[in-house]
Amino acid sequence: MCKKRKNTTKLNNAYFRGVGKQAFPTTLLSFQKKWLDTWRGNPPGPILLIFGLITGIIMSIPIVYVIWRSLSAGAERWIRLLDTRIPQLLWNTLSLAAAVTICAVVIGISLAWIVIRTDIPGKKFWQWILALPLAIPPYVGAVTYIIVFGRSGWTRDLWLNSPWLTSTFGIYPINVYSFWGVFLILSMFTYPYVYLIASAALRKMNNNFEEAARSLGMNTSQIFWRVTLSLLRPAIGAGAILVSLYVMSDFGAVAMLRYVTFTAAIYFQRAGFDTASAAILSLVLILLTIIILWIESVSRRKNKYFQTAGTHRELEILPLGKWKVPALLYVSIIFLFSVLLPISVLAYWSNIGIRMGALDSRFFGFALNSLKISTLTSLLCMLFALPVVYLKNRYPSIISSAIDRLAYAGYALPGVIAALGFIFIFNNHLPALYRTFYMIVLAFIVRFLPQAVQTSEASISLISPRIDEAARSLGCPPWKVLLKVIIPNMLPGILAGGALVFVSSIKELPVTLMLRPPGFDTLAVRVYFEAHEAVYHLAAPAALLIIIASIIPLRYMLSKY
Amino acid sequence: MIKVKKVIALILASAFLMSLLVTGCTTKGTAPSSPADQKSEPRELVVYSNRNEKFVQALLDKFSSDTGIKVVALHGANPLQIIEEANNVRADIFISNDLGSLGYLHLQGLLQESNPNGIETIPEFFRADDNAFFAISVRARGLIYNKDLITEEDMPKSVEDLFDPKWAEVENGYAITRGGNGGMLGHVSALRYQWGDEKTALWIAAIRSNSAGIYQGHGEIRRAVGAGEHTFGLVNNYYFHQQLLEPDNNNVGFIYLDQGDGQMGAVSNAAGVGLVKGGPNEAGAAAFLEWLLMPENQAAFVGESLELLINSQFSAAYPAETQPHIVDFNSLKIQDMPVKELGNYFEGTKELIQASGLDLDLK
Repeated sequence: MCKKRKNTTKLNNAYFRGVGKQAFPTTLLSFQKKWLDTWRGNPPGPILLIFGLITGIIMSIPIVYVIWRSLSAGAERWIRLLDTRIPQLLWNTLSLAAAVTICAVVIGISLAWIVIRTDIPGKKFWQWILALPLAIPPYVGAVTYIIVFGRSGWTRDLWLNSPWLTSTFGIYPINVYSFWGVFLILSMFTYPYVYLIASAALRKMNNNFEEAARSLGMNTSQIFWRVTLSLLRPAIGAGAILVSLYVMSDFGAVAMLRYVTFTAAIYFQRAGFDTASAAILSLVLILLTIIILWIESVSRRKNKYFQTAGTHRELEILPLGKWKVPALLYVSIIFLFSVLLPISVLAYWSNIGIRMGALDSRFFGFALNSLKISTLTSLLCMLFALPVVYLKNRYPSIISSAIDRLAYAGYALPGVIAALGFIFIFNNHLPALYRTFYMIVLAFIVRFLPQAVQTSEASISLISPRIDEAARSLGCPPWKVLLKVIIPNMLPGILAGGALVFVSSIKELPVTLMLRPPGFDTLAVRVYFEAHEAVYHLAAPAALLIIIASIIPLRYMLSKY
Repeated sequence: MIKVKKVIALILASAFLMSLLVTGCTTKGTAPSSPADQKSEPRELVVYSNRNEKFVQALLDKFSSDTGIKVVALHGANPLQIIEEANNVRADIFISNDLGSLGYLHLQGLLQESNPNGIETIPEFFRADDNAFFAISVRARGLIYNKDLITEEDMPKSVEDLFDPKWAEVENGYAITRGGNGGMLGHVSALRYQWGDEKTALWIAAIRSNSAGIYQGHGEIRRAVGAGEHTFGLVNNYYFHQQLLEPDNNNVGFIYLDQGDGQMGAVSNAAGVGLVKGGPNEAGAAAFLEWLLMPENQAAFVGESLELLINSQFSAAYPAETQPHIVDFNSLKIQDMPVKELGNYFEGTKELIQASGLDLDLK
């Protein structure tokens, strides 16, 4: 009875609002039924939905533009690119992304397990320091590797001055401008994505499962492979996605190392204002991303993991025993190549630069620009991520998963593509905002929202829907559940996401390069230009400042997450 | 729970504050000045430049301190950005390293005629008929080489020599820039003028496969050659001048190509400025052009680039290391293509380079 009345009121309302002047009640009814079916009888509140939809629309601007632009590019251009460019670019991009992802997952998971679960000496120190490469942009890493291992780097000089090396091994064998150079450098600076997510998951893991396994007679290595690793599965997936998408969208490092992937090609096409070709390459890259996301979601759909918070018990720490020395050695080597080496090189050149007066008012202007952009972006991303994650997890439907997918597409839409779309939209339709600060912030949101979504999602997936249901059954409306139950429980994840977005924004390069208004350079842009001219004494202080500014949010993220 | 609310409130409040703050900054800072401002003293000037920032920023700083006009610069801009922004003009002045792109912009009707005082100091050969753009400095293309790795006699002397795959065999090979580079574009245009498209396409294919390094810019090439990472590289002559100034790795020489009898002469190009049509700060732009044409500022345009001044009598100051190696432009045999003709070739050249694949290569 009550339900029926509610329906009629709704119908009347809809009628008076003039939603469908010619619509008969029956069509409305069937629409409403469809609507309910879409949400499996559980539609979200309008505010939540509108917020989510707006996010989705902003995220889809670049994609729509790229698709439209590439479809109107003409068959001739398509054929030329398909014949000449795309096969090579596909190979370059996919082989690099696969290799780096595998390497980063192996390093990230192993490091996380060692520093969280074992009694390695200096545990706290390692836990924190091994996440530090996240603050080092790969293009900065590339510059330091070029300085050290480059064709006229420090090790070459060492090599040429050591007769026994030249006589046994011949000419200087290291070439950083190669697949292996790019692979090594990107792995060293992207593994923290996996490491951090895996560490967080390991910390939250409930000991009950492992104890059950042990009581069934499994030994430590069996437990690791069969219990720990499968509980880490969502974390590995999330980390691997972040890494592979990062590699596919990285511009700075590959450009420095002169290795052409899709993103670099798109950037160069765009820099030559061949927008149509850039759009075609972008479309192919978007398809690649969709395939990767699809593979991940298919492999994840098979398994769902929930942990009940009520019986949570601390994990026990495993003694390393005879493995202490190898474990320490392994951790130290990673530390050496991903933290110590780049930071020392930067410190060396910053020292020279500061003595030559690199820290002038111009420099501080760049620093302020960087700070403004990154802060605003990370705040907005935290706000936008929430409805996306919540809709997807609690109101599964075509619409919410479409919004979710769109949110991810922004990440694989390498900044370059987001920038393409935004230039077009703003130049033609929103001239007042064209080439302003806001254009960059919006493009950054498109680009980095997925990071906030990922981290938030990892933490919502640990909150059982039963908790929501309990709150709902006690009379809380959905928005109140979100505000009072979900957000507080997710907060560490959300803030960690915000911190991650801040760190990513402050080091972002290609979008800023393409969208920056006249006179608005950021630290990242300066590093790129100065390093290109080999003016290392000016590049190093800017790079070091990016790293230092990233360390504070990173510290926070590690302490909470 | 209270703590959580506080954090959320803090986030919301700071997002709000940030956007206010930023709005304040932008409206004060980069918003185009209103027409009312224009009538009085010019206050601001927006310059797009695709020349190396090191040379241009010093020039713009000098302009600001001489005239009090604030300059907002976008370095590393592509000339085609002017075309994209045709309906939403942001730039007043375009400073280009390649006269061809200025000529092309003019062909598209995006530059505006000007008649600044002092324009007569620029030979007609180096400016548009309506002075919408003009050149200040010139350069010739050639090969920078590392004297530790090769002698002058052994170096190729003609651009045609590069057809020969044997040059891939020199120690560490040789270096060229990406096809998207302005200098390379101008060079290819000149070759098309000289040889026609077919032979030029073969030449691009040859250097593309025979070179050992393909770089984004000439600055990287001169340093790489200086350090012995390559035996020689195809650059503009002033990069040779710059390398001589380096504290080390400066044992380099330079070959002006095709200087012999019956040869085409060195390919030249010029750097200059164009006046963008409908720019937001007309008065500032006019002031800039007149300021730039003053003899001392023509010399400042060259500045640290160590290019050759068209008006060599205004003598750009060259450092002692470079001075003995400066070859007067008039004493060189230069290809007879008029530099302002380059603009007519711009589009076709881009297509040819795209078809060759050199526009995307890096190695």
